[in-house]
Amino acid sequence: MNLNLSNSGLEQPGANYDVIIIGGGPAGATAALYTARAELRTLVIDKGLGSGALGITHKIANYPGILGDISGADLLQRMRQQAESFGATFLQDKVQSVDLMAETKTVFGNSGVFTARAVIISTGSMGRGQRVPGEDELLGRGVSYCATCDAAFFKGQTVAVAGNSDEAVEEALFLTRFAKQVHLLSPTPELKAPAELVHEFASKPGAIVHPGAALRAVEGDGRVENIRFATRHQGEQTLPVSGVFIYLQGGRPITDFLQGQLQVSETGCLVVDAEYRTPLPGVFAVGDVLCNHVKQAVVAAAEGAVAAMAVEKQLHGRKQLAVDWAK
Amino acid sequence: MCEDTRELMEEVASLSPKLSVETFDFVADAAVAAQYGIDKIPAIAVVRTDAPVTNRGVRLYGIPSGYEFSTLIEDIRLVSTGDLGLNAQTLQELDALPGPIDIQVFVTPTCPYCPRAVLLAHRLALASDKVNASMVEATEFPQLANRYQVYGVPRTVVNDVIHVEGAVPEDMLMGKMKVLDDAPALFKLRQRWEANLN
Ligand SMILES: Cc1cc2nc3c(=O)[nH]c(=O)nc-3n(C[C@H](O)[C@H](O)[C@H](O)COP(=O)(O)OP(=O)(O)OC[C@H]3O[C@@H](n4cnc5c(N)ncnc54)[C@H](O)[C@@H]3O)c2cc1C
Repeated sequence: MNLNLSNSGLEQPGANYDVIIIGGGPAGATAALYTARAELRTLVIDKGLGSGALGITHKIANYPGILGDISGADLLQRMRQQAESFGATFLQDKVQSVDLMAETKTVFGNSGVFTARAVIISTGSMGRGQRVPGEDELLGRGVSYCATCDAAFFKGQTVAVAGNSDEAVEEALFLTRFAKQVHLLSPTPELKAPAELVHEFASKPGAIVHPGAALRAVEGDGRVENIRFATRHQGEQTLPVSGVFIYLQGGRPITDFLQGQLQVSETGCLVVDAEYRTPLPGVFAVGDVLCNHVKQAVVAAAEGAVAAMAVEKQLHGRKQLAVDWAK
Repeated sequence: MCEDTRELMEEVASLSPKLSVETFDFVADAAVAAQYGIDKIPAIAVVRTDAPVTNRGVRLYGIPSGYEFSTLIEDIRLVSTGDLGLNAQTLQELDALPGPIDIQVFVTPTCPYCPRAVLLAHRLALASDKVNASMVEATEFPQLANRYQVYGVPRTVVNDVIHVEGAVPEDMLMGKMKVLDDAPALFKLRQRWEANLN
């Protein structure tokens, strides 16, 4: 009997990790470097190199110690390799939800369920701001943010995916296994996902890419019937679909997966103390997801380092932060 | 699917002397099904052998495979230990709500956060005799998924008319269930729900 029990969170009693870091940008990758060096079992869950602010920056010239221009993705890759070299594990996955109330923290990804004694939130601020008309009303009635969960409801039907990141294209690719037709609406003329991935999607039967297509509205009476989208050349058009999977990005802190477990400010950011602790014990936050944060890679990295030391202090029951100095 | 479900349950039961499985035939043992409030199959009722038979409690409809296997194991733990971990406020609010309360949580086996929604409902069922809570595997019961117009999971459906999308925290679900105590609002919801049934 194939029950697919891997990663059901059952393999081990107790927490699987000492710390789980959600988001592997400069903030999360640096935190991982420090927690791994402190010999804490560290898991970083990240959506993909090209889905964060540093990952999409073409050139960065003000990161100390790096002379000349380097692409954000290259710099980030170096940070991740450094963290990995000290034992941190990176997993490409999206965190969909968390349970942070209990002492053991549970993190739900698409590929599994993970537990840890502490969590660092470093998801950045590329979340969507405004939703399109009809989106909230039709959530669960054809509007979805999780293709792996909901694809089965759209067998043989026509669906749309809105987004241009690795994540959007991967979800669109997954949907081609179920839906008859998958329309990928990229808000930009060029997709941000790697060209091979876009090509793989476009070569599937029923896959259609619409470059530079802005999702305007989701329509339907009790369930999704149409979407409206606009392109520069063709203006607004209506497309009959029974499902729309939305992975658009914007400039808001990414906190949706918290589902109200931590309070966010009016502008959607997280509030922490000087050691980057949130009001929930064992839960820390760093980087662009924070309020009053200066949006610079070096600042995000520095915050990650401090938070990692604060996690170490808590898990090892210290009174003060222990600095990480070579002996 | 019934055969697979039976096999799975027998395998799980063989892991501990504290567990046992009794298998019933939905047609031949209709009286037993009625006692447990079971109206479709495959169905699993997770019960303590020393507790009286009731038509409320923890039920799973459809094979608990994929992520839902963890729900089954956690259900067994909850039923056995009674250690539910619900907030005091939830228990108070639950106490004040009128019963019976029927909670159905629609899931798919590939949904990583669906078990959270199911287990919350199951905890409520174990905390109060007036609550019945079931997991419903949406792809195995398409007619039910259709009836409640489920196109995304998890979807929690309370007394047919209160629909909650996503694995929401305990206080949010309790907040949505307050309508059960508000007859005019509940009446409106029911009207809307019945109008949508076609
Ligand atoms: C166009 C642009 C140019 C910039 N130029 C510079 C510059 O020249 N110099 C400079 O110092 N700074 C620059 N910045 C700012 C800098 O990039 C950010 O301040 C910094 O990247 C913030 O780091 P972070 O780790 O908090 O977030 P991010 O770098 O955004 O990383 C967040 C990570 O979290 C992941 N994530 C989010 N949600 C989830 C989830 N649910 N599950 C799993 N993973 C998730 C994302 O995929 C991403 O990898 C620039 C920013 C932009 C947008």
